[in-house]
Amino acid sequence: MVRGDFLRGFGSMIPLWVGVVPFGLAYAVSARSAGLSLLETQLMSLVVFAGSAQFSAAGLFLINASSVSLVLTTFIINARHLLYSLSLGQRASYSWGRQAISAFFLTDEAFGIVTSQGNYGFAFLLGAELSLYGVWNLSTFLGALVGEVVPDPTVLGADFVFPVAFLALLIPLIRSRLDLAVAAGAGVAALLLAGQIGSGLAILITGVGGSLLGAWLSGREDNPSP
Amino acid sequence: MTPVATILLMAGVTYLLRLAGFLLSGRRVAPFWLRSLRFVPISVFGALTIPALPGQSGEAPIRFAAAALTALVLWRFSSPWLGILVGMGTFWSLRLAL
Repeated sequence: MVRGDFLRGFGSMIPLWVGVVPFGLAYAVSARSAGLSLLETQLMSLVVFAGSAQFSAAGLFLINASSVSLVLTTFIINARHLLYSLSLGQRASYSWGRQAISAFFLTDEAFGIVTSQGNYGFAFLLGAELSLYGVWNLSTFLGALVGEVVPDPTVLGADFVFPVAFLALLIPLIRSRLDLAVAAGAGVAALLLAGQIGSGLAILITGVGGSLLGAWLSGREDNPSP
Repeated sequence: MTPVATILLMAGVTYLLRLAGFLLSGRRVAPFWLRSLRFVPISVFGALTIPALPGQSGEAPIRFAAAALTALVLWRFSSPWLGILVGMGTFWSLRLAL
């Protein structure tokens, strides 16, 4: 039963591998060209395991940014993960050990899979998490080896996989007009803010703002949302 | 600071953020905050999706068209594989055709 749940979680992530592989390769190539060694490039995927933060870090290493700005940027870009574990913690009561383990591998994608499937079991979550961890680290390793041979994903248009994959996570969650309004409002606000304050902070602010707005508006409705 | 030390610090703040929500969730939370949590994935995924739609290669119109068709297919069938196939297939076809 537990093993079945782990495999189901692992399998649920497979459709997203399509989008992850080119970016794992591209991250590794940009990290290598920013002067990181193969070991450092791989280490970041092993211990940080956060795509957009790793891309920004590669860019910051390239311009010799200070360690402080690297760590702060990582903090801002990854702050949304606090909302994910807060949400998971409300839905499921994992033991301390399980919290410590599942927190290490927690990503947008794993949280999205668990939420959209409504399966909050530890085995399912860990299966989804390790599925992404494996493919992210494998593609990092290949990219770090292959180096400059990997084409720029934006030239192939492979970067379009990301909005498409996030749409695939988002659409099943939308069950009312209010849900649709919150998703569209947060998206448009993030698009407008990104140019002013950077996309990491924009996602954080609109993620929090959209959640509060949704809670406030759903509280005003007579019948509580499901 | 060496790159390895910086990477380990980045990993430290990331792990603390990922763990912090679990540590906070043992507390009693008012209904308003519980309701707001239901909207977290909806608003965050909205905020991740829409800014990434136009792209930086001047192909915004075909990307929006492909995304609209994908959203429609996902709305009807809610299968991620099908969504990604339709999305990327439409995008690459329009790219070749136009």
